[in-house]
Amino acid sequence: MRNPLRTSLVGVLPVAFMLAVASASAQVPGSTAYFQPGTLARYNAAYRSVPMRGGRQMPSITIPLPLGLVQFFNDHPHLEDDPMFNPDSTGFNPVQILNLIFNLPINLELKKPPTPTNDVFIGIGKDSLQVDLGAAKVLIPQDEVGFGGVTRVSDIGWGMKGFRVSVMGWIQEEIKFALGDTLIAFFNGQPAQNNTRYAVTGHGLAAAGLAPTIGYNGRVVGDSMHGLYVGAAVHYYLGAAYGSSSGNGGFTTGDTLFGGPTPVKFDAAALTQYSTLGHTLGHGVGADIGFVYVSGPVEIGFGINDIGATITWPDTRQDSSFYKDSTYSRTTGTGVKTTTKLPVTYAGDVAVTINSTTFGLAVVDGGEGATLRLGGEQRMGPFALRGGLGRDQHKRVQFGGGAGVRMGPVSFDVGVWTHANALSSERSVTMGTSLSIY
Amino acid sequence: MRAKWVSLLVLAAAAAAACGIGKAVLVVDLYSFIKGSGQDTIPYFVPPGTVTASNTPRRTSLPGAGASIVDSVTIVGTLDLQNQTGAGTIGLQLYVAADSAGSYLPGALALNVPAKPVSGAATVPDTIRGRLAPGADSLFRRDEVWTRFQVTGSNGGVTLMQGRAVLKSIQLTIVLDDKLF
Repeated sequence: MRNPLRTSLVGVLPVAFMLAVASASAQVPGSTAYFQPGTLARYNAAYRSVPMRGGRQMPSITIPLPLGLVQFFNDHPHLEDDPMFNPDSTGFNPVQILNLIFNLPINLELKKPPTPTNDVFIGIGKDSLQVDLGAAKVLIPQDEVGFGGVTRVSDIGWGMKGFRVSVMGWIQEEIKFALGDTLIAFFNGQPAQNNTRYAVTGHGLAAAGLAPTIGYNGRVVGDSMHGLYVGAAVHYYLGAAYGSSSGNGGFTTGDTLFGGPTPVKFDAAALTQYSTLGHTLGHGVGADIGFVYVSGPVEIGFGINDIGATITWPDTRQDSSFYKDSTYSRTTGTGVKTTTKLPVTYAGDVAVTINSTTFGLAVVDGGEGATLRLGGEQRMGPFALRGGLGRDQHKRVQFGGGAGVRMGPVSFDVGVWTHANALSSERSVTMGTSLSIY
Repeated sequence: MRAKWVSLLVLAAAAAAACGIGKAVLVVDLYSFIKGSGQDTIPYFVPPGTVTASNTPRRTSLPGAGASIVDSVTIVGTLDLQNQTGAGTIGLQLYVAADSAGSYLPGALALNVPAKPVSGAATVPDTIRGRLAPGADSLFRRDEVWTRFQVTGSNGGVTLMQGRAVLKSIQLTIVLDDKLF
């Protein structure tokens, strides 16, 4: 009998890979190093008309070379029998599977991160329960946590004299959750209390569609050495499908924690909304604006994306589910009008280009915290050398570097960068490679 | 409490960060499940010869450890041998099983505390210390186990030896490979 989990994973891998390809120019250090101003065209509508300097050119498409997948399949040669994918095996860990799906190993791990070993102590008595997570305590989110954003998977269009008409594919994903105060206190080492509710709230959303777009970008003041470039685009979002679910679940302890006459009571409630293919399309309007000021070797840019991008879904189905002793579920509405909102993304950058040398700094904030990158690129004929540093989500400095070679309409880029996990200050090193076509 | 959920809640965060190879150490106050139930005291009446007596099997809730591998289960505790008459030796055995009836089977013997001499009306403190038999380890992946304490009295004299073994503290330390799912 086929392992359904393995089958699902094999199905997910190509999709994830396609998404990775689509957003490669923004994500693969092999092509972007730690900073490359032109790549900010994704976040700054004015950059489409700003000539790239220092010998650089924007590729038409960038494809990551999945050396990490080669490494993965080398490490897991027999997926049929691999304990990692067999739920009956002691080697099976769904958290690792999820991590694999969300962090597809496209890139090659040159130096793997140290596996943190952390002992967890749980004290149990008839009426006591207390945990000591050790170093893992830092992983307990004290506030709401999550991730999400909008991926523009394609932007096919035609332009003339600065005006451009295109159709953009977009995908939005958003996952958030928060532990209740009592649960946070428990994870931080406080003993469990009697007759107390411990709860988690969560929210997830996924949406996808197309967006016919009309835009303009061009230089409005000055010349190529000293000028102001502006860009603006208006998107008419057509939502093909979306689904979201928000809920709260937890348990309430009884008079005695273990073995008492009043056992713990579990409860959960969730509202799920969705509009799938076949329902009336969602629709909405949003805009991007961007500015780039060029003064000699200096380039300063600022862009905002998805301004006012609220999508109305006129044909939404709503299901309410509730658990207390048993599960209750019912449809609370059909054909309901609901709205979703794309997060506004801000991007700012400063770059200095002198001959074939470029240094720059970029900050991008898509609503989930700002990322900062600082770096430089030196071009020597068909070759390019890149280096830089950035600040990770643990506020630690990480380093990156890379090189590229251009051969006619094709270039090959390689980049290495460091990163670390929350429980270790030791850096690991990853290598990414990509092929770009101009 | 359906304690397996506790395990999931407690250790999911550690697992989510790929904490991987760390151990989960469960420290179970077994005595708290027995205290006040009357099962913490085992009376014994030993005529010349050897006699056993035990308490009623007692259920203990555990977090439930899924597919974890139990590295070891050790026990530390104290008891008082409150002898009233006679002289001889009193030993203690711990039986562990998945259900009440199973704790009466010879194969459920998990620990044998060496016998200690008692004599006359005196209280002899004793300690329980050791590693449970490996065959019992896997039981502690469950969300409940049944335990039964048995005393074995040997009376080499002619006077009835009687008294009671009173458990004072029992703590189990269960070391698991952190693998809850």
